This record gives sequence, structure tokens and C-alpha cells, in this order.
Amino acid sequence: MDKIRLVLTVITIAIIVIPLVGTLLANQGNLLGLFVPPEINEFADDLIGGDDGPGLEPPTIVGEPHYDEESQTFSVSFEYKNSFPMDITIESLTGNIKCAAHRFPLGNASLSEPVSIDAGETGTLTVLGAWTDDAISHFGSAHGNQENVDVVLVDFAVDISGIQLQLDQGQMEQEMQVPNPAYQG
Amino acid sequence: MATILSKINWFGFVGGALTILMIVVSMFYPWWQLTVGDDLIKINASPVNTNFGFLDASFTIPFIWALNVIGLLTLLLSGVAMLIYSVMPTKSFAKPLLDFGYKKPLFTFLFFVIGLVAVTMILQAILDFNLPLMGSATNTLPIPFASGVTISVFLSAGFQWSFWLAVVAATLCIAARLYHKKVATTQQPAVTTATVPSTTTAS
Repeated sequence: MDKIRLVLTVITIAIIVIPLVGTLLANQGNLLGLFVPPEINEFADDLIGGDDGPGLEPPTIVGEPHYDEESQTFSVSFEYKNSFPMDITIESLTGNIKCAAHRFPLGNASLSEPVSIDAGETGTLTVLGAWTDDAISHFGSAHGNQENVDVVLVDFAVDISGIQLQLDQGQMEQEMQVPNPAYQG
Repeated sequence: MATILSKINWFGFVGGALTILMIVVSMFYPWWQLTVGDDLIKINASPVNTNFGFLDASFTIPFIWALNVIGLLTLLLSGVAMLIYSVMPTKSFAKPLLDFGYKKPLFTFLFFVIGLVAVTMILQAILDFNLPLMGSATNTLPIPFASGVTISVFLSAGFQWSFWLAVVAATLCIAARLYHKKVATTQQPAVTTATVPSTTTAS
């Protein structure tokens, strides 16, 4: 009976020690690899734009912005290339709009509808914005003679496939030209 | 036939069979699952198979893989020991097999739960990151290289049915140990004692 107990104890020790020592020996040249496999590093590089990674590419404006006088709203279309190694869905995108010259707050903007973009493909995002009454006054008083006014989209908050990115003030600004709702030309 | 069946420790038999079934099930259905974002990242954890899924890609951490191999072998031997013991509970080797087998499903279960709780506590203490064990939460990722960018993620976690199967298997193995006395006592062969008359010799 004691022999059986001894054999069972030896088996218990062996099934604990052998896998641990085997894994340790397999990674003896790179102990960090025990906890962080190389695939994770490669994936992180792809995502954040490491050595040859794509990184985050800013969207580019396509076409002319449209303005609806009645509702004081405008729409701008952007093209965005999904350079990540995976399909993504941009669920929402919000930001504040400021006058590029005076940093005057003009209103806010948001994505018209969620957009799904496959890996490596380019998708079109339509952003809708609304001017405040103060913004209309500012357009009239400060830019009355300009048909189009330079504005910047700041304080981005993007929801990509359930992950929300909030860019702090001054981190990323998207410049664009919008039709002046108070153009007196 | 009835005599043979009555000799079996049924708690041990079902406990051992469930332990082996649990190993097979745990290879495919994790005990605990964490989902990040809209199925963007998935962590499937069990003592025999733990993997990290990122969309179509799947990663295994070597150290955790080694722990999984230990868990798998431990549970497998425990299940086999319990099955052998339970059909022959009165044999001389039965008690060592029972002692070897009955605690391991419980210890594996405790090790898994304590490990999970420890990981969540460490993440909370060091990175101020709240990882839910059950339920959902929205958390801010502590990413040092992304200064000026706040990344929030929606996390959803929960124990799966295979976890509760493990609870049942561990409970039955403990019950087998408690029931062993009864099985062993009822199966003791009748011992006849004969009184040998004592003789005294005068020197």
C-alpha cells in the first residue's frame, strides 16, 4: 500500500514539474516569452504602427460640404482607409467644431450612421454638424465676407467595434472648409 | 449482479466519470470567458485550455499552457483513479487511489478561482483596471505610449456551464470520500475469532 502511495506521489510531482521545466527550457533564451508570446508583439506593432506597421491614418475629406439653411446643419464626407489587419465597424464619431482662426466654438458634429470597413479597404464616413446661434453670429461678424470658412474638428471620440478612443484636447485636429451660413457676399 | 453493483462507490464512479467528461468539455467550452468590445478580443479560460482570441487569431501564453497541461494530467489521473477505486473500493489499493483522486478536482477548481481573483486584484491594484469576474463594465485602458488618448473598452465576463459541471464533479468526489467508510465497512468480510485455551506450565 505504501508502494502505491509512493508511486502516486512521484506521478503527482512529475506531472507538475515536467511541463513547467519543459516550458522553461523551451523559452530559456527569452524568459519574457514565457508570459508574452511573440505573436502578441507582432500584433501590437501592427495595431499601433510599429516598425513597419500601418498606424492610424487620418481621414481625408471628399467632395464639398453641404449646408442646409433651414435646419442650420451641414454634412461633410470623409474617406478613411482601414489600415488595421482586421475588419472594423465605426459605431460612432463625435467632436466639437471650432473656428480655425479664432478658436470660437461653433457646434458639434457626429457620424450619420455606423460604417463597417473591411481590413485594407476604404470606407466613406458622413459627418453631420449643427451650428449654434452664437456660431451663426460669429460667422456673420468675423467672417461675413468669406464664402467658405476654415474650421477644425477637435475633441474626437470614436467608438470602433466597442472600443472607445477619446483624443484629448490638441491631440488631433481635422481641418476642413465649410460654407459660411452668414455669407453676405 | 446486485451484489456487484452494491459494492460500487457510486459517488466515486459518477465523480470520476464526470471529471473525465469535464476535461473533454473544458477543451471546447471555457469555464470563464471575457469579451472585450464587440467580440474584438476574447479570453477563454479553464484549467485545461486557456487561449486569447483576437478576431480570427488565437494566442496561448506558454506559462499558462504549462499550467493547463498540469491541470489536464492532474484531472485525468484523478478521474481514472476515482473510477478504478469506485468499482473496487474494498481492495487494498483502493484507499490510496481514493486519497490520490478525490481532492484533485477540488484543488484544481480552487486554484483556478483563486488565480482568477488574484489576477483581477493585481490589475486593480497596479493598473487601476477593473476586470469584472461576472457581469460587464466599461474601463479605461492604462496605455503609457498612447499619451493624450484615452481608450475605453466595454468588458463582459462570466462563468460558463462547464464551470458548474466542475463544481458538481468536485462535490461528487468529496462525497465519494465521505461515503467510502460506509462502502468499506459494509463490504468487510466476516471475521471469525477463535479462543485459544491458554495453557500454563509450571516450571
